[in-house]
Amino acid sequence: MNAKQVQKFVLAYLQSTGSRIIEKGPAHVTVKLSPEADRALTNRPYYWSFVDRTGAEPETMTFRWNFEPPDPSSSPAAPPPIVANGARIIQDDVYFGSRRLGQIFESVGQAGKCVMLFEEPPKGSAGPLGSQPYTAWLGVNFKATYECDMKREELYGMGISLATGVIDEQFLQRLKDIRLTPRLPSNVHLLRNGLSLRRAMTQLEHAVERKLKSADFGWAEEADERRRDELARVEQYYEPMIERAATAEQAEALKARYGRRREEIDWQYRPRVTLSVINCGIFHLPGID
Amino acid sequence: MRNDPMQQLAQTDAPELSAEADFTTATTLPASEPLPPAPEPDAAGKPAVPPARKLHPLVELYIDRSPFEELERRIERNGPWDDWSLYLMALEAEEALKISDFHELQCLRLLPHLTPLPHQLETARRVLYEMRGRAILADEVGLGKTIEAGLVLKEYLVRGLVKRVLILVPASLVLQWVRELSGKFGIPAVAQKKAHTWSSDIVVASMDTAKREPHRSFLLDGEYDMLIIDEAHKLKNKKTGNYQFVGDLRKKYCLLLTATPVQNDLSELYNLITLLKPGQLGGEGDFAANFVEGRRVAKNEDRLQAALGQVMIRNRRSDGSLEFTRRMVTNVPLRLSPEEQELYDGVTAFVRERAQADRGDMASMLSLVTLQREVCSSRDAVFLTLINLSKKVAPESPLHAQIWELVNRIRNIKANTKAEKTMEIIEEIQDKVIVFTEYRATQDYLIRFFKERGLSAVPYRGGMNRGKKDWMMDLFRRRAQVMVATEAGGEGINLQFCHHIVNFDLPWNPMRVEQRIGRVHRLGQTEDVSIFNLCTAGTIEEHIVHLLHEKINMFEMVIGELGEILERVEKEETLERKLAKLVLESANAGELRERIDNLGDSMLEARRQVEREKPQ
Repeated sequence: MNAKQVQKFVLAYLQSTGSRIIEKGPAHVTVKLSPEADRALTNRPYYWSFVDRTGAEPETMTFRWNFEPPDPSSSPAAPPPIVANGARIIQDDVYFGSRRLGQIFESVGQAGKCVMLFEEPPKGSAGPLGSQPYTAWLGVNFKATYECDMKREELYGMGISLATGVIDEQFLQRLKDIRLTPRLPSNVHLLRNGLSLRRAMTQLEHAVERKLKSADFGWAEEADERRRDELARVEQYYEPMIERAATAEQAEALKARYGRRREEIDWQYRPRVTLSVINCGIFHLPGID
Repeated sequence: MRNDPMQQLAQTDAPELSAEADFTTATTLPASEPLPPAPEPDAAGKPAVPPARKLHPLVELYIDRSPFEELERRIERNGPWDDWSLYLMALEAEEALKISDFHELQCLRLLPHLTPLPHQLETARRVLYEMRGRAILADEVGLGKTIEAGLVLKEYLVRGLVKRVLILVPASLVLQWVRELSGKFGIPAVAQKKAHTWSSDIVVASMDTAKREPHRSFLLDGEYDMLIIDEAHKLKNKKTGNYQFVGDLRKKYCLLLTATPVQNDLSELYNLITLLKPGQLGGEGDFAANFVEGRRVAKNEDRLQAALGQVMIRNRRSDGSLEFTRRMVTNVPLRLSPEEQELYDGVTAFVRERAQADRGDMASMLSLVTLQREVCSSRDAVFLTLINLSKKVAPESPLHAQIWELVNRIRNIKANTKAEKTMEIIEEIQDKVIVFTEYRATQDYLIRFFKERGLSAVPYRGGMNRGKKDWMMDLFRRRAQVMVATEAGGEGINLQFCHHIVNFDLPWNPMRVEQRIGRVHRLGQTEDVSIFNLCTAGTIEEHIVHLLHEKINMFEMVIGELGEILERVEKEETLERKLAKLVLESANAGELRERIDNLGDSMLEARRQVEREKPQ
């Protein structure tokens, strides 16, 4: 993300959380956070539990966020807070890699987890008498993590029709091109689901798995080679020592240490893939598929 | 027609549910319970979810579907539903943070503040991709081992391969590490203070604390994705508790930092490497048979180098791209004014007399020598010490009168020869200058002195808090021509924009002299650095300057070398103490000069030893 993208992202975040922008410039924004954003970003659990228990009117914090990429020669110390109209305004550099943006990323991860949406029907598509059929889709965004002593990731945004079980591998892209609304549009009827949610999920997972299986496993073979190499190295070190050990206790101690080294190597090098769900939702889209 | 989406979706038919055996965790939770945190796989690479199936004969697939389970719960409870734009933003964030490549260095795009030097980047790359995260970083002092370690750590953190980190360093460096990791790398490390600190993800602690109970057991029970040990040469002896302790820790990636991988014995290197990668140099017997000729002499050098090269990186200053600019040292001889000389002589006589009387009491003898050194700095410095001394003796004692007689001599002094000379030097330089002194009183005096002559000077000292120090540094950079500093140590003072140093007086600990110069003469300094040593003729100062400059030529020594030399010379006693003893025990200037020359010779001998033993 470059500075412009970060700025756009942060402004969008402020808008979706209902925060109040006091003023903004080409590369900064001064904002009074909404309670939702304040809870997520200011790390004041005690204050918020106080507000929740007493029902007091919450006083949220005000920030001035600078989006200029920081100057490498300047000291990274935070600039002092500004006091304007009696309110403390805390200054922050927000750039890709900054703690603040990291927090915002985490916050959207929590706040954008599960959705239920309907496509807005095109205007005049159905007369007052006709009703349009809508199909429910389960859309899931997956992250596949390939891991050994190194790591790589891939993202998939797939969907499955709950009516027919048809899988759309470009589902996320499809969603980005249409208008969605949280309310059920009028003159729309929902088709009966042929598939339970769980079965649909399982089928999606199987589809991803098939994709993963067809990938190149060279990386895993190399990692396993490294693993066996490392194991051989500790083996030629410990085995003779254990054999030569003077006492049984010594041999035991060596064996324990040998076992620990082997575990560490396995932990570090064994190739593995983790498939995790980033977020998911139910999408009602027109059509019978 | 069924128009209630919730109702429809909530109808998950039971038989199907049980057919999908993997879905167990969520369904057993009562709906009213708070949601469990998503069981994401921890960084140790041990997913919280039990393994499901094999993707490949070598590769297991783990699945974490917690957001889906959350979706089911929300359907059951009819919401609440998240915002579509936040949903897309969550994806955008994942997309931005995605690690699309096994090899490309990820951490730099997250560290716009930091511009590592080429050798630091290259080192980080080699540790990550060739050494697989287990390495000895053995750069010469001053080349940035901490930066290299920080880069490696940051890369693993960014990739999510490391979460739990233990950093063991000498007690005096704990806070410096914490500050550097947070300031330069945005890594939230915590200094170990209380027992519960251990549960933080990234902890910096002193080795001495860590190896003691109850900490020890706690750490040995844990698992660390990464272990970093600074000053790792202290682990050279495998019979020590430290060595055993580090060997028993469970760790995945491991960095050992040391500037001096071999000091006395090749077996030290062997022990260090065995800690990191047992078997790298073969079994114990193999190592002796294959590589050791004598205690410090290796055989099969090429093979040994090849084996070492797989686990150890040693960047040297002489490697070319790391050229430092030159140091130009000028001694500025001065003659004290008659009044100052009178005071010096008076104090010297007093010190000799007291030393005879106090013989054996080393502490009070040392403070006497300080008195002599202070006269060479400023009357303000010696004045304070004399006053404090007079408060400790009975008012009627002859000692009291003696002291006051010295104080009266101070009153006669109207000018400070050194300060005037310094003013001349600064006017000649017409550029930023940093003036170092050992004494607070001298510092205050100089600031006043400069101000009276229309020269803006800022103070800098150890007692200032962090913010004030930063502020002073900033003032010096932007406004003031001169900084007068009493403290040379401590991280974070980077004064590369200045390349003139005046040593108003010299510490007797050469490392402190080196630290002073190191604030300015470091990687990143683009100009040659000029150093002026003020030196009053006919005083002990003259002897010290003679030893450090003419005899051992420390100002032009390779950085790092000095430390190794001192380590050898100071086996029983610090150089500072040795010097103080010489000063007090010598009958006259001639004898003192001779004995200081001898001391210088032993340092030169140590230097030759160090050079001979450099691992190539």
